Amino acid sequence: MPDVQVLVNEFIIKLKKRKVEGSQATARMTAELLRSVISQQRVPYNNQAGALIDAIKAVGEQLIAANPVELAVGNIVRRVLHIIREEDLSLATAAVAGLNLSAVSDDEDDGEREDHPVLSAAAVAAAARSTLRPPSLQTLLEDMPDSAAVPQSSSSGGDSEGKSKSADKSSRSRKLKHDIIEAVNELIQDIATCHEQISEQAVEHIHQNEVILTLGRSRTVMEFLCAAKEKKRSFRVFVAEGAPRYQGHVLAKELVARGLQTTLITDSAVFAMISRVNMVIVGAHAVMANGGVIAPVGLNMVALAAQRHAVPFVVLAGTHKLCPLYPHNPEVLLNELKSPSELLDFGEFSDCMDFGSGNGSPLLHVVNPAFDYVPPKLVSLFITDTGGHNPSYMYRLIADYYSADDLVVQRRPASGN
Amino acid sequence: MADTLQNPNPKISAYYQTRADHHGVVTSDWLAQAQAAVGRHPDDLPPPKVEDSGKPFSVIDEFNSWRKQPDLAEAVAAIRALASVIRFSQATTMMELEIELKKASDSLKSWDTTSISLTAGCDLFMRYVTRTSALEYENFNSAKSRLIERAERFGEISYKARRIIAMLGQDFIFDGCTILVHGFSRVVLEVLKTAAQNKKLFRVFCTEGRPDRTGLRLSNEMAKLDVPVKLLIDSAVAYTMDEVDMVFVGADGVVESGGIINMMGTYQIALVAHSMNKPVYVAAESYKFARLYPLDQKDMAPALRPIDFGVPIPSKVEVETSARDYTPPQYLTLLFTDLGVLTPSVVSDELIQLYL
Repeated sequence: MPDVQVLVNEFIIKLKKRKVEGSQATARMTAELLRSVISQQRVPYNNQAGALIDAIKAVGEQLIAANPVELAVGNIVRRVLHIIREEDLSLATAAVAGLNLSAVSDDEDDGEREDHPVLSAAAVAAAARSTLRPPSLQTLLEDMPDSAAVPQSSSSGGDSEGKSKSADKSSRSRKLKHDIIEAVNELIQDIATCHEQISEQAVEHIHQNEVILTLGRSRTVMEFLCAAKEKKRSFRVFVAEGAPRYQGHVLAKELVARGLQTTLITDSAVFAMISRVNMVIVGAHAVMANGGVIAPVGLNMVALAAQRHAVPFVVLAGTHKLCPLYPHNPEVLLNELKSPSELLDFGEFSDCMDFGSGNGSPLLHVVNPAFDYVPPKLVSLFITDTGGHNPSYMYRLIADYYSADDLVVQRRPASGN
Repeated sequence: MADTLQNPNPKISAYYQTRADHHGVVTSDWLAQAQAAVGRHPDDLPPPKVEDSGKPFSVIDEFNSWRKQPDLAEAVAAIRALASVIRFSQATTMMELEIELKKASDSLKSWDTTSISLTAGCDLFMRYVTRTSALEYENFNSAKSRLIERAERFGEISYKARRIIAMLGQDFIFDGCTILVHGFSRVVLEVLKTAAQNKKLFRVFCTEGRPDRTGLRLSNEMAKLDVPVKLLIDSAVAYTMDEVDMVFVGADGVVESGGIINMMGTYQIALVAHSMNKPVYVAAESYKFARLYPLDQKDMAPALRPIDFGVPIPSKVEVETSARDYTPPQYLTLLFTDLGVLTPSVVSDELIQLYL
């Protein structure tokens, strides 16, 4: 599949050069790329899912290594892996169910598969338990932890395949791929429409005459505020400008264009203004498994200000931003240092930053980190496409979207470094 | 049978007696003992089976012979003891066997009410027996042998659990950090060992762990790994806390609120760490999750332990001999378990899923 490799390399270069901005765009592009990887991947007769998983893992590793700070890439890779496992399992379950019911004729068999995808034999149910659920107390004694889940499920699929006719095989392999691509399309659709899903909930959270504070610019936040405005809520918005990129200026202009009462403040005025604010609504870069948030720089300060004055701190995040990893040392490992040109113009203070003067190292350093880590205890509520959630509930959402086996996609490149 | 139901020595909790036997005092022979235990597989050292038919089988004797092994967790010993109950059972139906097991696990639990992991281990195994075997196996004998096999592999499961926790936990140790450790915990030792093997550079502060001075043993182990280690008296925790980056503790039991029950002193360390904004990490195997919900410190049966003050204590002076305390979940940051890295609130979720 040479043409896919070209696409992959192109995307990797884009990621490395940080040409893709924003987790939504990254997530969408990753999903689209993985979709074409799947459609181009040739699958062998048995263990098709295994072949697809390996292919996705190989590509995923490269993508994650290209920009480890953009967690959306890893999230989407894991989501796609989860989709493959799920579809394979539902097909295998359906196949066993079809065999159990009766093999009257192959055509009817196929029909039944689509009608009763959930009927299952005990063996498949056990496989399902071990494949898709995270380890729990229940499975502690039932299954040996080392029994690899993937071969188990694919072998049960393989057995049922062996019993059916050979014509069935090709139809099943086509069906598996077809189902997976369908599901990935749905995922892409979800990523594209997550703003709408989130902003639908706006009226429940924003009330008449309230004052909302936000920092920087997030498209989700803008749509959220506008959705409330469209529903005839009148409220005021304070926008902190979000130095050093000043995206808050852009947001303020956009909000004014939509007819919202807007006040622009400096970042350092947040503490001064917070006592007049009813709610803080912000976007996020990524949401970690413990409910902590990787967010644009400056938000930790806003969160602390909000906590000091008991103002609810609400984070809007599409489900593609949910990351199944726990942050260790997030301030350093999950941060990115941007170009100092955002702080200082070229040539400014050039005498203090000169390597030639003094003992060879400049006296003035410019550090421009891109992200803040907001610990979970400072967040009051997460609003995702699926509704509002407590920070301590995030792990449960994550268990729904990811398989436990896929969490370590990234382990190998990380240890290689 | 009835006479063995009572713990022979009411002055000291059996759980802590075991602990004291295993890793209490630092003597030269525990080194040799630990060395001998490291190389061997847990399954390779079953106690000499008492085959004399004259003596009736007692689950407590069985349990006691298992728990003598220094590398074996108490819950594992309990499950192995219950497996022997199944093996010696004359029952011919599942129902009979269940009743027999229930009796055995009750007598085990009442033999030492202070051990949480013993109770949790018994509960977990009973739950497994009642929930799965009757449903999936029509044949009684195959069900029976499967249960025995599972129980016997539980030692392996528990050993693997420690490895998983070590892998998860060592990620949180970063270069140049200082870790405060309280008492001696096999899991915590495994985490630190794994981190040291992965070339992480860190420093460990060990509390002394009065009165059984288990911290001395941990510091000794750390020194063997060439990890810089400093020994503190238990009251120096607050004094050193500003140098500390994270606190690592084990647990005797993890309760339903997500809090932990652990060696005396854990609660005050967690309080100090919380007030100085340091993360408190707990490493515990999931078979220590217990269905308890303590509301305060005095809400559990106290596990007693003699304390040697070095001088005779006048008879009018009362001595607090409780061996452990309860740390509420709001003072814990994360729990490293073999089910993954969990926030304290996940614990109740897991327990509800199993016992609902």
